[in-house]
Amino acid sequence: MIALGGKMIPCYTVQRNLACIQRTVGGVHWTSSCRPAPLLTASPVCALIDDKISIRGHFLPPRCPVTVCAQMQSDDGDLWEAFAHFNTNLDGTVNLTRDPSVGGSYLGCEPMGLLWGLQPAPGAREGLRLRKKKVETPYVMLMSLLKGHVSPSERPSTELAAVTAERWYMAPGVRRIEIRQKGVVGTLFLPPGPGPFPAMLDLWGMGGGLVEYRSALFASRGYASFSLAYIGHKDLPGPQNRINVGDPYFKSAFQLLQDHPQVYPDRIGIIGLSFGVYLTLRLANHSDIKPSCLICINGPAGSTIKLRDADDRTEQMENDQKYWTYDDQGNVSFRAVSLPANLSPESKVKLEHLTCPLMYIVGEDDLSASSIENANLIEETLSATGKSQLFTRLSYPGAGHLIEPPYTPNSRVSLWSVKPQKLATLWGGHLAPHAAAQEDSWKKILEFMETNLRH
Amino acid sequence: MSMKPLCVKLSVQPSRGLVDEKFTILVQNLLPGFQLTIHALHQCEDGHSWEAFAHYTADATGTVNVSEDPSLDGTYSGVEQMGLLWSLRPVPGSKYGLRMRKMNVQTPMVVTISVYQGHRTEGFLDQVLLASVMVERWYMAPGVQRVPITDGKLTATLFLPSGPGPFPGLLDLWGGGGKLVEYRAALLASHGIASMALDYLTPQITKETGKMVDNDYFETAYRVLEQHPQILGSRIAMLGLSFGSTVTLRMAVYSQVVKLSCAVCISGSHVQPIGGGLEQILASFSKHAYKTRLDENNQVIWRDLMLPIPTDPSLKVDMGRLQCPLLLVVGEDDQNWPTHESAMDVKEMMDQAGNSHLLTVLSYKNAGHLIEPPFMPFARASTFKTITNPPTKVMVLWGGELVAHSRAQEDAWRKTLVFLRENLYGGMKHGASFSNL
Repeated sequence: MIALGGKMIPCYTVQRNLACIQRTVGGVHWTSSCRPAPLLTASPVCALIDDKISIRGHFLPPRCPVTVCAQMQSDDGDLWEAFAHFNTNLDGTVNLTRDPSVGGSYLGCEPMGLLWGLQPAPGAREGLRLRKKKVETPYVMLMSLLKGHVSPSERPSTELAAVTAERWYMAPGVRRIEIRQKGVVGTLFLPPGPGPFPAMLDLWGMGGGLVEYRSALFASRGYASFSLAYIGHKDLPGPQNRINVGDPYFKSAFQLLQDHPQVYPDRIGIIGLSFGVYLTLRLANHSDIKPSCLICINGPAGSTIKLRDADDRTEQMENDQKYWTYDDQGNVSFRAVSLPANLSPESKVKLEHLTCPLMYIVGEDDLSASSIENANLIEETLSATGKSQLFTRLSYPGAGHLIEPPYTPNSRVSLWSVKPQKLATLWGGHLAPHAAAQEDSWKKILEFMETNLRH
Repeated sequence: MSMKPLCVKLSVQPSRGLVDEKFTILVQNLLPGFQLTIHALHQCEDGHSWEAFAHYTADATGTVNVSEDPSLDGTYSGVEQMGLLWSLRPVPGSKYGLRMRKMNVQTPMVVTISVYQGHRTEGFLDQVLLASVMVERWYMAPGVQRVPITDGKLTATLFLPSGPGPFPGLLDLWGGGGKLVEYRAALLASHGIASMALDYLTPQITKETGKMVDNDYFETAYRVLEQHPQILGSRIAMLGLSFGSTVTLRMAVYSQVVKLSCAVCISGSHVQPIGGGLEQILASFSKHAYKTRLDENNQVIWRDLMLPIPTDPSLKVDMGRLQCPLLLVVGEDDQNWPTHESAMDVKEMMDQAGNSHLLTVLSYKNAGHLIEPPFMPFARASTFKTITNPPTKVMVLWGGELVAHSRAQEDAWRKTLVFLRENLYGGMKHGASFSNL
């Protein structure tokens, strides 16, 4: 600090005998002959969500403590942030691809740690989960370089440099098409170009609604992809807290894809997460539905609830509550609901009839579904019928339920419902292992799709 | 054997990039030995279509990688990672003499990259398309702020990098065609230098008064940079192309106000009558207009107007008095200005005066006059509208040969950025550290 007329003014560079003040104070500009601020660069500066980014600081003093911090605002306006502490190199640089973090949101050398390490900023609402609703706009990431080993709340006083990067789910030219046809509710993403394209049917879990971002990313990687809603959407038959559609609905969705002029009818895969796994397996089990491959992430091979049947009745989800367990904070785990012993025997999908490759992805710390047990069940069933060559398992220690596209943060717990009372649910997953699982599984998912849908 | 049809996969990484970023084009899932054409199409702001294409043959793995595999023929040949951009040319049937310049930097340049079966050279729109992607090329990185400047009767645009600053500053000047051309300043700001594009031949004030601006105008522009709260007044550079170099050298050497950390002069000259204003300089060119030559296509060659390089010291900037590092970029096939001869004379003057350690000359064989940021299409000649009253349109020969000129642009830009960074950001010899607080 230097004293000027009795007032203490912070400054961050003192050069020999020349005191210099860098910041404007009350609109007055203090001239100085110091050097410019250091430079923070990010490359590529506009990238897809599953692209790596290289973050570097230049023109810093050697062997000095700095903090690199990232901030991103969700579509709902919540602020997420991450930070990492580094010591600059002898040449006055910091390079997140080369240098280890010694403190902050993550430790060690993790080039993408500032992304998967994002957490709700202090003061944010409780129980948040980062999910992009509007896939046609990017996440805007503001990265800052701060002096010293500090936390992000110590901006702006320590901010040295900043850079803005964009993270996109949609590549240029990808087309987003809302589908409301034959009662089917979904969004189709088509890659740019004439097609036809191989395609994916994209199914999510009981959280409901219409989750588009994974499909948008598949389309950005050259696959037509159809996100399908089946519960909790205003355009579906009500009430919204129950599944009111049955087998014909899912078959229609698959056929819709097959009939699309820009889709190869015999190159369609199905991906499901959570309850979407059951729907994937059930759909593939129909003799007239022939997907080229199946990808199942952390979900059951059967169900405790029935889909809408011929008598037009469905059992409510609340019957599952006998299997819910609670931790000390009152957060609910749904894990036991999908234990094979608790699934209704007639709902268990007859995998004996499977004809296409199946990849099952397990998060070993999954607190929402009995993934390990269901993976075992599927593997045993296929083995018993001489079809083990169709089965691939990826199993990730420390990963939780929500194994999603890479370089996005995991929520170990998040708000599930507000009525009749506020309830948060446990997903599981520890920070670094979950991030590693997302990165590795995404790569393997794309390779699996490449092998089974393009060759 | 699979009876399924070929499922060709085309990818361009990154699909969104800065104009000076390289991309990788990959075509996969082809049959080995498959012949294909990769085609690029761009519609520029004034509605003209530009295209480039190259012929490839898939390797044993059924892949074509533009960064590694040679083009056998097309608008470029050999291994050229960025060839599909710099070899873009107006589609058949276009007007002659087009030049591609992006005037709106807030939108990207969009290029469609397509794959066609076989080795095609024309009629692309009628062919069966195998795959196609879109690529965005930006002059402005996210977070860069575009600030129109009208203070001090300037017609200018300032581009500020993201972050608190302070940033080094740069005054960016184009040449004799006038207008407010923003794209190079936007790109420099995307690299951390607060840059101001300045219209000094056709600014609002000249349109209103009919009079050309004088030295005050440039000094005002410099002051706006110097006094900006986010710009470090002690680290300001000037970059000029063509006539912009004339102004840059005059300011660098003679101005009492303008104190540059460094200067970059592209395709320029130090030849100018000293002591007058812009009118005097332009008048001196007109006086020698009789030296204009025409090539075999009736395209105008103006390089002789300043030749021979005068020995009279009142007719050229006294380069021996320059006190800051200077980078000269020279296209040896420049048909518009005698850049090479000027650079030689500058070197001689600085050698004699003992300040030639400040001088760096980048000289490129077969490069022409318009040495611009990389990967943009090349124009050996184009229509040029003079700023005279009334204006006249001529077909000007800039010079240069496609491949050599494109390589020169890439190399010169990279070295210009290094030069600017070293002189504007560098100098850690004083050993500042954060501990001095």
